[in-house]
Amino acid sequence: MRDFFADKNRKILAIALSVVIVIAIMGAGGNPWVSSAFNFLTGGLSKVSAAVSDAADEKSYEELVEENKKLTKEAADLRTQLVDYYDLKDENARLWRYYNITKSNPDYQILPANVIRRDSSDDFYSFTIDAGTNSGVSLQDPVITGNGLIGFVSSINAVSSKVTTILSPDMQAGALDKKSSDSGIITGNSSYCDKGYSVLTKIDANAKIKENDIIVTSGIGGIYPANLIVGKVKELRYDEYDATKFAVVEPYENIRKVRDVVVLTDFKNKGEVKKASQKEAK
Amino acid sequence: MERRYTFFRYAAYSLELLLLFILQSTPGLLPEVYGGKPLLMIPAVLTIAFMEDQIPALFFGLAGGALLDLGYSDNLGYYTIMLTLICFVVSFIFRDYMVVSFLNALGFTSVITIVLVSLYYLFFVALAGRGDLMYFVSHYISRFVYTIVCMVVLYFVNKFLFRNLREF
Repeated sequence: MRDFFADKNRKILAIALSVVIVIAIMGAGGNPWVSSAFNFLTGGLSKVSAAVSDAADEKSYEELVEENKKLTKEAADLRTQLVDYYDLKDENARLWRYYNITKSNPDYQILPANVIRRDSSDDFYSFTIDAGTNSGVSLQDPVITGNGLIGFVSSINAVSSKVTTILSPDMQAGALDKKSSDSGIITGNSSYCDKGYSVLTKIDANAKIKENDIIVTSGIGGIYPANLIVGKVKELRYDEYDATKFAVVEPYENIRKVRDVVVLTDFKNKGEVKKASQKEAK
Repeated sequence: MERRYTFFRYAAYSLELLLLFILQSTPGLLPEVYGGKPLLMIPAVLTIAFMEDQIPALFFGLAGGALLDLGYSDNLGYYTIMLTLICFVVSFIFRDYMVVSFLNALGFTSVITIVLVSLYYLFFVALAGRGDLMYFVSHYISRFVYTIVCMVVLYFVNKFLFRNLREF
């Protein structure tokens, strides 16, 4: 052993290896001083390495042009997918509304339809839908949305129908105050249609109807089903000419902007008055 | 004058080791071949040891091994100890018993690389339960070949440095 270390080179080797082994053991034992020293020494190298790596990641002009083309195409594809997504989202929301309508009213036979045209010459915001007799729509069928009654089918052909809204004076439907049970006729009025309001007329002078009461259809007459929401009472007024009371009704649906609707093609007690009068005639 | 050129030669070796460390540890700079990247420090310090005296060979082996270990972890270990020892012995052999030639260098580098890396795999991968024979074949064979191919370049670079920074 003494001969082995007689050589100066071997002594240096032994010392170097001893130092390395001691440092390795200290480091393996989790000594923070050793680790910190190494991190300090290698920190600069890591920065150089990171800088070189960043530089290596930089792309040439041709690669950037190619990548730009690829990303532009991807963006166009994603825009198309986004439009499809919004369409599906709208349709899904619409179908859920219809589902809720039929769930709460199992006797309703509904037919979803889209507004395809608005009559700009009509002051009462009538519109045309893409469903006609071929789809099973009949004259005077009620037209609703998830927020309640908005009108009725006033003229019809094979593929489309015109809908007169509850803002029009042509609308005449029996309605009542859900809270006080005071009844009247829901119709339109030229003074209120531009604000999107309807009116409940023929209210008894002693009626207990109040503001914010909810107005629903009465179902009398068999044209509209009972309990279809029409709107809420905005204000109560008196007619200057015949001194009768009337209520301004604010529909829950924005009738001037509605885009998709549901036609009630059949419901319980539909056309009862008509059938009864036909029996009497016989 | 002699001492001055020796200093420049050692400085050139040191710079070479640092550059190789950056090249080896920077993602994206060296392409991977079948999942393997070369261990550039091994042929670098061995080709230095073929030509230099034992003490400088020892310290460059230590430095190269330390950089190799630091590339894997925060601590000195297997490669530092082994390369320190191997460079010392290789320098001794080539100073007294063998001629420095390309073929000798290639043979030594190949054998040492294969043994060194295989032992590393055995002790730190296989026995630690982190890899099987398939992993060795798919990752380490390519690493051996890649490292030995790099040795060809490093041999001539270091030979150039040794000759040109000495003979004045």
